[in-house]
Amino acid sequence: MQDPRIRLLCAFLLSFAAFASVTGAVAVFVWWLAFTPRWHSIRHRTALLATLVLFVIVAGVMTLAGSDGLSYLVRMIAILLVGTWVYAESCTGDFLSAGTWLFGTRIGFEAGMIAGMAMQMATGLSEDFRRIRIATGLKGQPWGICSIVPAGRILIHDALRRADETAEVLAMRGYRNGGTICPHFHTTLRDGLAGTCAAAALVLAYFPVSEFFILYR
Amino acid sequence: MRLVLDHLTACHPFWSLVANGVFSPGVHLVSGDVGSGKSTLALMMAGLLTPESGTVIRESIPQMMLSFQFPEFHITGLSVAEECRSWNLDPDAVIRSAGIDVAKETPSLSLSRGELKRLHLACVLARDYDLLLLDEPFSSLDCPGKEWVCRQMNKRAGGITVIFTHEQSIFPDIDHIWEIVGGELADCGDMPGAVVHWQHAPPLVKKLICTGRSPLALTPEGIREAACRTRG
Repeated sequence: MQDPRIRLLCAFLLSFAAFASVTGAVAVFVWWLAFTPRWHSIRHRTALLATLVLFVIVAGVMTLAGSDGLSYLVRMIAILLVGTWVYAESCTGDFLSAGTWLFGTRIGFEAGMIAGMAMQMATGLSEDFRRIRIATGLKGQPWGICSIVPAGRILIHDALRRADETAEVLAMRGYRNGGTICPHFHTTLRDGLAGTCAAAALVLAYFPVSEFFILYR
Repeated sequence: MRLVLDHLTACHPFWSLVANGVFSPGVHLVSGDVGSGKSTLALMMAGLLTPESGTVIRESIPQMMLSFQFPEFHITGLSVAEECRSWNLDPDAVIRSAGIDVAKETPSLSLSRGELKRLHLACVLARDYDLLLLDEPFSSLDCPGKEWVCRQMNKRAGGITVIFTHEQSIFPDIDHIWEIVGGELADCGDMPGAVVHWQHAPPLVKKLICTGRSPLALTPEGIREAACRTRG
């Protein structure tokens, strides 16, 4: 997808659709099959698998507690697929351009910049995680569930420090808030079609199919 | 004991690297510009990254350690004492060796980057590894810190030590110099002859060579001796 505005819009619509109902989640899955590079859009398969395992555990607990765990699992998988697609398709400056276009040079610029920085940090975090895993192995310590806590501690600590340093650098350069950017977007017919279908998925999630066909009975 | 790089290649969107060479016991310096592939080479030499082609042969190297540029990656202990124990080392001895003024109970991540680097290097250098790969060991350190690392490295008895750095001022007693130039690992040779072929040589070393006073060692003492040498 070329246009970051439509990509973000699709992400919002599809997330709401998937969260609303199982029908919506199924529609999102169909949309994902039709408009994304599917498995090629998944950059970090191990991380995706780990998240899936987490969802399965939560769904299992919900089922045991008498809630609809299966519904939760289906909906969360759909949201996860949308998230991984947005993450894979995003390019540097996308959020800044889309944010400024949507909310202007003050709030929009700031929100876009923060989102862009967060995406950059997410890319760095996966590389840091890989290094931590290597370093733990070099120490002769086996990698397992117990290693996640110290690794997470380091990642959070580093992320906070980097955020602090970035804020200081911005302040040193005289940044207060907002900024000017002239975003340029390239929209294709396929982008428009994907956006329309995402909106249809949301409608489908809130209004069951039977509601459309009741007139024909 | 030796480490052989046999037609090793690595590709990156912005650079590529070809490496050939034999690393025998001693202290090796691998210099190169920022982003030239030093860290990638270190990972491949440690066997932690599969090269595009070629092989890394480690002969009689049962114990190996790679120290990353950022010491945080190695931290697994909540406190300084826990961290030292995770290396099977006595916390008091490590703190004394690192020369940092901290209590054993201090949370390890509350140390400054420089203190953490010293603590990490003190742990690494306290153990006898057959192959020790140090990626930017001087980063985050002030001059006394760099001198301390050099002293600790010089104490290492045997084994292969490879230092990947773009440091330009303070070095330990280097035996062999390598450098990454134009995407290739070039062998400058053994010291003291290597400095003549070393393109990434610090300006002071280049100046000394130009005036016919090539340093015999890259240590501060070696540089001082060359600078004070009388041309005859």
